[in-house]
Amino acid sequence: MKVSCLQENLAKGLSIVSRAVSTRSTLPVLGNVLIATDNGRLKLSATNLEIVITCWIGAKVEEEGAITIPARTFGDLVGALPQEQVNLALNERTQTVHISCARTEANIKGIDAQEFPLVPEPDQDNRIRVETDVFKHMITQVAFAAAVDDTRPMLTGVSTLFEEGQVLMAATDGFRLSVRSAQIPSHVGEPIRLTIPARALAELARVINENQEAIYITLPEGRNQIIFDMDNIVLVSQLIDGNFPDYSPIIPKRHNTRAVISTAEFYKACKTAEIFARESSHTARVRIEPGDEINPGYAVVAATSSETGDNVAQIDANVEGDAIEIAFNVKYMTDVLNVIDTPQIALETTSSMEPGVLKPVGDTDFVHVIMPMHFGR
Amino acid sequence: MDKNRDADGGDQTPFSDWSRAVLHVDMDAFYVNVHIMDHPEDAGRPLVVGGKPNERGVVASASYEARQVGIRSAMPTSSAARLCPNLKIVPANWERIQECSHQVMEILAEYGPLEQISVDEAYIDLSEWPDPETAAVRIWAEVRERSQLPCSVGLASSKLVAKVASDHDKPEGCTLIPPGGEAEFLAPLPTRVIWGIGPRTAEQLAGLDINTCGQLAAAKIESLRAVFGSQAESLKRRARGVDSREVQTVRGMARSISQEWTFQHDVADPELLIARMEKMSNRVARSLRKRNLIAYTIRVKFRWDDFTTFTRQRTVEVGTDDANVIFQHATAIWEENWPQGKRMRLIGVGVSKLEKPASRQLEFDF
Repeated sequence: MKVSCLQENLAKGLSIVSRAVSTRSTLPVLGNVLIATDNGRLKLSATNLEIVITCWIGAKVEEEGAITIPARTFGDLVGALPQEQVNLALNERTQTVHISCARTEANIKGIDAQEFPLVPEPDQDNRIRVETDVFKHMITQVAFAAAVDDTRPMLTGVSTLFEEGQVLMAATDGFRLSVRSAQIPSHVGEPIRLTIPARALAELARVINENQEAIYITLPEGRNQIIFDMDNIVLVSQLIDGNFPDYSPIIPKRHNTRAVISTAEFYKACKTAEIFARESSHTARVRIEPGDEINPGYAVVAATSSETGDNVAQIDANVEGDAIEIAFNVKYMTDVLNVIDTPQIALETTSSMEPGVLKPVGDTDFVHVIMPMHFGR
Repeated sequence: MDKNRDADGGDQTPFSDWSRAVLHVDMDAFYVNVHIMDHPEDAGRPLVVGGKPNERGVVASASYEARQVGIRSAMPTSSAARLCPNLKIVPANWERIQECSHQVMEILAEYGPLEQISVDEAYIDLSEWPDPETAAVRIWAEVRERSQLPCSVGLASSKLVAKVASDHDKPEGCTLIPPGGEAEFLAPLPTRVIWGIGPRTAEQLAGLDINTCGQLAAAKIESLRAVFGSQAESLKRRARGVDSREVQTVRGMARSISQEWTFQHDVADPELLIARMEKMSNRVARSLRKRNLIAYTIRVKFRWDDFTTFTRQRTVEVGTDDANVIFQHATAIWEENWPQGKRMRLIGVGVSKLEKPASRQLEFDF
């Protein structure tokens, strides 16, 4: 293999694939990045067996070939090189890559490319098209609600349903639930129900090139994998086996109180409460007071710490229904308010023991449900 | 008046004056007897419930026939098998054990405030009974009758003596120590039977020529003070059977929660060790959540292949019951203390400095 490319492109490509590098594996090849010539371009690929990220960069190929070299060493080296042309030459016999750039020369010992896991190829015909910005927005609004700890592995995934011209995503960690739907340009015949690891979707959102108009999704037959094809970047993820819990019954169908509040002000009040809520299991109390002929309605967000002190923040609210006081994990509040982009949100509540629902005003495709905190036991 | 008094005297109960009565109930070879209930063909033979000998299992419970040849609980099952070639080793059926335990505890709870110590052991406060001795005998028989499982009971004026009494005549023993008889009952017994006297204290006592509770009760306080300092009085009191601990109906808050794992073969593979820590972190977090507790200290227990054992811990600012947080800290502690490639025999993950937060996060019901 003999190939040259620009340091800038190589560094960018490595930063994209490096997130899939396995950091703690006993299989040394998983700590490596695959470098291969591919139709006049240079292919970079890394995997931790849960996801594979592959990206292609422009290069001048003089001699075809492939090798894997330690991702960390290669990444650090490329980062230290000047922004000039980088030449890579593989010595097949010693499996060593010689790297030269301006006046720097280096050799990195590799492992045979044959040892790198086989990566499935995207299917060019049977694929679902989703718009890049729409899909990225969905991931941002849903994936954060998935469970981080894998006590229940299914909950570390995002339930994804393609049905007709629509995609529906949902994630829950057992305490909160985020659900978003969107129209897609493709029409799916038979409904497709999948659970995609939230971690894989978060990586996808990170590597998505916003200039790219669409993402093409394929499901290789019988492999329990999903492929996201973004032209010069491909991400392959394992799917989570099993049935995602039926979350529809936990979305409340009715409410006693509905408060319409400025998203930004509510976010700020919750952020402030977080300072004191830190030491009391992130508990913040939210009180909603309806207005009357003279006084407008309002919401109060308050937090108390037995050690540091307390705070109260009052914000205007348009309240329908009864007054209520309900406590939430304020982190859950800021998490969701952070991803809502309408100027106003509606907080719907029934009682202090029942879930609260947040809806962006004017956007019926998103709903977020949070279980309250309960005082005393 | 006088006549009345006489009449009262004549009506006096023949029973002792139980101002406080504590019954200790200890199921006999509980796991074994639960097994025999489902497999009557195994009755009367040397049998242990425990892990497989080739997987470094230990004896959880041994039948009395197995005990006769020297098999004890916590002994590696491989050693037990050597002691008794026709020993039958069966795995614990946790579901059945829990079920039977639950049944027994329900019977006991009918009689008075209950403090459950483990699946097969509990204290009941019988102070409210006009005649605790009759109640004790009835409980002893009723457990046997309703659960089909044998137990031993001890009745005394304190938890300490009740526990010693239940062990006195095992199996199927019923030992009643009337108030005032505590010191006399304990006197001939070795000091080790007393709650809080472990092998080390017993050894120190033996150094003072004190081997029985009677000797301890009679020992000169000065000579005890020289060795045990401020603990001397309490030791002497306990040797006479004085113990004011109450039967606690709601179990006191746990001080620590931990999980540990002995590998079948010593392990040096980081991935295996990490995977194991992850599992244990999940379990620890789950039991924290179950008890509505959060933890401020996370610790990792190490045992190398040469049995060197130590624990390292760190304290976090925000208390947690989150498996991932516990796991993150556990792996960090492990990385700091694990020389690459070092073979581990056992690894443990635990939490301490527990706190009950004022509010609790509610969960979805699915």
